Formats: sequence, structure tokens, C-alpha cells
Amino acid sequence: MPARGAMSRGFTQLLDAVVRIDVREVTFEDGGKRFEASIGSGVILSADGLVLTNAHVASRRAVEINITLPKPDNKNLTPGETVGAKLVGWDHWTDLALLRIDLDEVKRRGLKFAHAELGDSDKLFPGETVYAVGTPYGLTRTVTRGIISNTNRYFEDDTGVDGYETGSFNTWLQTDAAINPGNSGGPLVTEDGKVVGINSRAYLGADNLGFAIPVSTARRIVAALVQDGAVTRSYIGLVPGVLRDLESFYSLAVDTGMLINSVEAGSPAARTGLRAGDILLAINDQKVDGRFPEQLPSIQNLIASQPVGATLKLTVKRGGDTRDYPVVTEKLESRVGEQWAFEKWGLSVRKVSRTDAREGQLSDDTGVLVIGVQSGFPADVAGLTRGDVITKINQQPITTLEVIKNAYDDYDAKPAPTLLEAQRFRRVSLYILKP
Amino acid sequence: MKFRLVLTLLLVRSAAAVAGAADIPALWAERVKAVVAVEFYVETETDRHPALSYGTVIDRNGTIILPSAAVDPRVSADQLKDFKIHRAGESSSVPGEYLGQDNLTGWHFVRADASLRGELTPITDFAVKSGTTSPVPALAEEVWGIGLRGKDEDFMPYILVSRIGLIQSLPQRSAIALHEVAAPGLPVFNNEGVFLGLATSSFGQSYLQFSRPERGAVPVVLVNVEESSVFPLADEVLPYLNRIPKNVDGRPLAWLGAYGLEPIDPDVAQFMKLETQGALVISEVLEGSPAEKAGLKDHDIIVALDGRPLPRLKPASVVVSYVDRELAKRQPGDTLAVTVVRGTQSERQEVKVLLGDEPKLIREAGRKYFDRLGLTVREFVYGDAVSLRVKTSEATGVIAHFVKPNSPVAIAGLHTDDWIKEIDGVEVGNFDMAVARLAAIEADRDRAEFVILASRGGQTAVLRIKLK
Repeated sequence: MPARGAMSRGFTQLLDAVVRIDVREVTFEDGGKRFEASIGSGVILSADGLVLTNAHVASRRAVEINITLPKPDNKNLTPGETVGAKLVGWDHWTDLALLRIDLDEVKRRGLKFAHAELGDSDKLFPGETVYAVGTPYGLTRTVTRGIISNTNRYFEDDTGVDGYETGSFNTWLQTDAAINPGNSGGPLVTEDGKVVGINSRAYLGADNLGFAIPVSTARRIVAALVQDGAVTRSYIGLVPGVLRDLESFYSLAVDTGMLINSVEAGSPAARTGLRAGDILLAINDQKVDGRFPEQLPSIQNLIASQPVGATLKLTVKRGGDTRDYPVVTEKLESRVGEQWAFEKWGLSVRKVSRTDAREGQLSDDTGVLVIGVQSGFPADVAGLTRGDVITKINQQPITTLEVIKNAYDDYDAKPAPTLLEAQRFRRVSLYILKP
Repeated sequence: MKFRLVLTLLLVRSAAAVAGAADIPALWAERVKAVVAVEFYVETETDRHPALSYGTVIDRNGTIILPSAAVDPRVSADQLKDFKIHRAGESSSVPGEYLGQDNLTGWHFVRADASLRGELTPITDFAVKSGTTSPVPALAEEVWGIGLRGKDEDFMPYILVSRIGLIQSLPQRSAIALHEVAAPGLPVFNNEGVFLGLATSSFGQSYLQFSRPERGAVPVVLVNVEESSVFPLADEVLPYLNRIPKNVDGRPLAWLGAYGLEPIDPDVAQFMKLETQGALVISEVLEGSPAEKAGLKDHDIIVALDGRPLPRLKPASVVVSYVDRELAKRQPGDTLAVTVVRGTQSERQEVKVLLGDEPKLIREAGRKYFDRLGLTVREFVYGDAVSLRVKTSEATGVIAHFVKPNSPVAIAGLHTDDWIKEIDGVEVGNFDMAVARLAAIEADRDRAEFVILASRGGQTAVLRIKLK
């Protein structure tokens, strides 16, 4: 029996596996490279130093990651030593990132750390007591307590993780354990200290509406990140809708099929002839049920987890007809293209993505989107502003970021007036960057 | 003592100067009869919005011109109701008739009821004889114009006096006075009472905004909507007074089909060796347009029209208005020679464009309101295909022109400007088909629901509209 008031042995061990993470990352928003520091939380998963945190804590833009380890067997929760870490990989769709502690440094300095055990998030029930451990507002190793408020919360956000999409392929655990900025990446645990979720977001200004990625999702992502450093997903271009209350209109049995709300132009689904208003009944003979919004992420995930380039058989009902459509999957791309800064021009850009092209009514994904200009620098003087899409440089179409990088290198070596063609709300203008 | 003497002399001299000029109060009394206040209503599905504008009388038939900003361009002519014409300083009014908008000048034409015509004096009575050139005010010359107070003050006229600060091509030759000199749409005169020009909408002026607790100042731009300091000169007004629209839609309208004309800034012009003239990039050549048929291409740079180089106007954006006006002066069926520079070639090529008829505009499109469903559908017109970037061959369906708040369609998630592509799973086709289908749904009191496929921002969604 534990002593009066003491937590379980497992819980005490968990506390020794929760870390503070200090990240310095590069940002490109102001027309040049800038650095931004932030604090988050994480949980050590293994003896070889893997740390799980949120993608919005540590992303590919991180240039320096430091982890503050707990002091072993430290009942007062005072912080311990700080060691370096590297990003193994990140996945904004599930808001997860995996780090590896610098084991050489740990060994050299004779440090020790514990690691957490993962629980089973599928067995959680509403009302079950859970604890959040993390670094809210920099307050290292804060424990808060609450219950599971909902085991299956649907929450999708097109720009939710630093401007990237999130929530399309998983649902979330909702808890009333206090989650504040800085808790991000810390574990949500049951009373035995087993990790059931990774705390990631909360409604600011609301009372204790916090959300965590279930560990069932995290296990899959961790495995992929360890293996490939990234999660590769498939894309076919369907935008799902819920079928609730529409069954009679589509002459469907209840709990059957998923509504196709939209088919992205030029996507594999569009090419095979799928249309908005079609009902997807099965994928490779596996029946789908998208009656409620909470059911959509698992269907989306079923598509996403097919190999890229695989041919899927989609069984689709349109009016009275039901037939199979073959769809060849493509690799899923993020909405945020690669970012870069051209410091002498005072210009930062990101590659136009397929999503940018669709939303900006561009004819294709040629060009770079201006994400920042620095006042008084050539790009600003020429009249470029945030949101412009630069499509040509010295009459050459910017099909890849390399095209404009090369032009910048030429300018850097030998500054000369450089002609840009750019669009703003489909209106084309010419600009000169002058040395 | 000597000092005082000089001062007295100066005073006497300036008094003599005023006396030597025409008698402004007498001139004023006559010229005030050339201005009116025009009230009307813009009728929408659920509201009537009162609108007010000031106008200038142009002939003895009681024809009045209002500035282009008097009417929102999205509003169709049949939504404009109950025109009332007030003389300056009169609370009573007579009815007026809306005649339409002229595409070149932008003026809206209204005609006052016959009973008022004897009381009005056309502005032409105060202009130089036709065929002679109107006076151009000199720099620093004193000029005056008319402003009108609000309805609660019976549109009392008052005088505004200023001096000329600058004369500029915008692209019309326009005078910019040091401060406000007339209400937008009302005339400006010299001290002999000769008509000099018609005030347009005012320019914004930058002010610094201070607040007590914070010492820093933030620049804000303020626009005086009741008075203006800018007026195109009489020779940019008088020759166009005969452009009374033949119909309420202002047709015929010449059409080129070059979308998004963007000026080239001075640095780029210098780089392209075009610094002595104006030049415009064509952002897109529209599908099926006269420009496309004649062989103009996206991103061509227009450098001349009918062999005349585009003028170098300041700011460069004024060149766009210049080209728009050149088009508006022409008729469908006219041939316009457009000289362009294409891509990297510095060679110029002349393309002869046979101007077409402007496709149906949004303000001319068919509309139908369904009160129980809570929406107005509008015919899908060419301009919709352009703004949604779809091929005209794919352009079926209708536009949700108005969605009544908290109506069944609003609750289902339909927004204004959504593109309705299917109703009850069937493609909408054209406007008449949509109206027939929605009318049947609206009339069927047993109907519990219907389904719309709507598109917004390139994505579609199935919306279920619950009717009971």
C-alpha cells in the first residue's frame, strides 16, 4: 500500500519522464530570417532517449532544442539538468513530433533519466480521472488533475499547427484537467501513471476545455517517425461530409456510407469521375460509415494509410446506381510549401502549394508566395507585399524554389536590376528589384 | 503713421478689386437654380434604403446628372425607386425618373417632373458658347462652388470658395483646389460666374490622430463625402452632356475582354525602355472575348491604342482609367488597334480587335426572390465565370444573390454569393430552370426538406434545407 496521500509507484516514475523543452526556431515572416524561442513539454518514451512532444512545439524549423530532465527520484519536482536534443521527425496532421536526447552528452555528464509507459487510450471512459503533467507558462513540472470529458472529439483545423492542417486523421481526447500554454507536448496520464494522450490544445478563455492526441494515434506516428522521419500519407482529393439526416434523400440505410461533399479539381478522385454528392460506400470492399463528424477522421485515415501509388477500389452510389471506381493514390502534400528568405532583397517566400493554388485561384502551383517583406529593402521599395505570388523572375517561370534561389545567388554575386512578375488577386504586375 | 497709411491704401485697393469683379451674390442667386438634391430608395428583398445625392441640371427638359458614386454598381436599375427632386433650399419635391448610367462619364441621368422644369436653369446657361473653349482657371485663381446642407435644413445652398492648387490629368483634365470647393456632382465657377467644372468625389486627406493618453500619432485618411476639392474642367464635362442613356442599362457597351489591366511603375518602365509613355499589363485575356479572338495573350503589355502611344500619366494607375475611357468612347462593332509588347520580345505588334457587345452584367442579370426559402437567386452571368475562374461552358447554375438571415437556407449554411450547382441532386442548368424548381419547392407546403449542392471558394458542400 502506498503511504497516505502518495500516488502510485507508476505515477511517480512518470513524473521522472516528463521534460521541459526549450526550442529556438527560425521564422521567415518578416522578410528575413529571425529566431523565435518557445517553451513546451514532452515525455521520454524510451531508454534510448526518444521524447514525444507536439509538432507545434518542435517543428522542422527548430535550430536548437534543449531538454530539461527531471532530477531522478525527485519528489519535490525541482528541475534538473539541461541537455541538447535533435528532431527525429514531425507530423503536423496529428500535431506530434519526436525528438532524440543527445545520448553522448548524457553519458559524458553522467546523467540519468526515466521513461514513461504507454497506456491504452481506447479503454478510457468519460469521467475517468486523468492528470496532465507539463510546463504551463514555463512552470516546470506542473501536475493538474481532471477527468476525461469526451473520448472522441472531432476537431479539424486547416491552419491549426503553425499554419499547417491538423485533425483530419484523428479525433482527440477532451479533458477538464487544466491545460495552459506550455503544457503542449506533455502527457495526459491515468492514475497508474500510464500515458494515454499528448496534451496539445485548449480553448483560451474557456474553462478547462483541453484536448489531447490519443496514445493509440501516437503509437502509429511514433513508429513511422522512428522508421522514416516522416509520415507518408496518400491523397485522392475527396472532401467528406456527414450523412446524418440525409439518408432518406439518398435512399440509404442508416449508418451506411460517407457523403462526398467536394472533389478537388485535378485530384485522382476528380480524374476517375467522382462528383460532389456521390456516396462512398466502401474502400477496397471495407464498408465505411460517415454518419457523424467524429467518424470522418478514421475514414480519411483509411485512405491516407494506403501506399502512395496504390489503386483503390471505391464503391460509390450515385442516384440509383452503385459502381466501383479505381483511384490511384498520390502523396499527400501539406498546404504550407517550403519557406525561404532572401535577405538582401528583404523578401521571404514560401513555395506555392496545391492548396494555395486552389484557394488563390491560380492556374497551377508555379510561383512563390510572399510571406514577408522588410521595410526599406528592395522588395518593399519595388512594391511587393505579403500575399503576392511571384510567378516569374527575369522572365523565367518559378516552377521550383531553386529557380528563385539561383536568381538570388546571381544577384548576390553581381547585383543587377531583376525583373519579377507577380500576381495579386489574379492581377499581374511587374516589379524591379534594384541593388 | 506712414505704416497706417499704407495699410489703408491696401484696404481700399482690395475693396475696389472686389467691386470691379462681378457681383457674386447676384451670380449665386442665378446659379443655385442649376443644382438639386435627389432622394431615392434602393429596394432590396427585405429593406428599403434611403439614398441621397446632389445633381446638376443640364438642359431645359429637367435632365439632371448625378455622380457615378450615387448608386452602388451591384444594384440593378429596377431596385431604384421613388426618385424625388428638391430645388436647393426647398422642402417640397417633385417626382423624378431614372434614365440610366452612362458608361463613359459614369454619370447617372435623372429627369425631373415637368412641373419643376421652369424653376431650373441648365448649367449650360453659365458655360461659354458651344464650340468655344471653356476657360481653364489659372494657378492660385479664386474659384467658388455650391454645397448643399442636409434634408433637415431643406438642402439650403451655401457657397464654398477656394483657389486652384494644381491642374492634373486624371485622366480628364481636372483642377485640384486648396480645399473643398463644391459638393460632389455640383458645379464650380470663376468670379465672372463662368462654369469651370463639375466636382467629383473628394480625395482622402491624411491627418494625424492623437489621443490624450498616448503621445504617438497615427496617420488616418479622412474623406469629406459632402464636399470636394477636385473638379474635372468644363471641357471634360460639356461635350458629354448629350450622352443621355438610350435605355436604363446604358447599352450599347463596347467590350474588349482584357481583364485586370495593371499599370507599369516608373522603375519597370525604365527597365523596359518605356519611360516616355504609359503601358499596361493585361492580367488575363478572357475566354471567348474579342481580345482573345484577335489574338491578344495573357500578360501582353499594351503600349498604344489606334497607333497612339498610351500617355504617361501620374499616378501610373490613371492610365487604366484612360484605357477604360477610350473603350467607353467606342461602340460594339468598332475596330480598335491594340499595340502590345509580348514576353521577352521587345518587338511591338499591332492587333486589330473587333470590339464586341459587353456580356450581360450582374446588375442586368435576372433575379428572383423566394421569401419562404429565404433567398434570391440570380442568373449566372459572364462576370461570374470570370470571378469564379470557370470556363463559360462549365457555367451552369445560379448565384445566391441574397440570403435572408435566419431563413431555412441560411440555417442550412448557404451564404450570399454561393454558387448553387444542383437542387435535389439534379444539375440546375440555367436561371429559368432554377426558378421553376425553387418555385415548385416553395409552393409545396408538404415538402419537409430539399437539398442544394453549393460551391464556395472552389469547394462544394451538400446542404440540407429543412422546411418544417
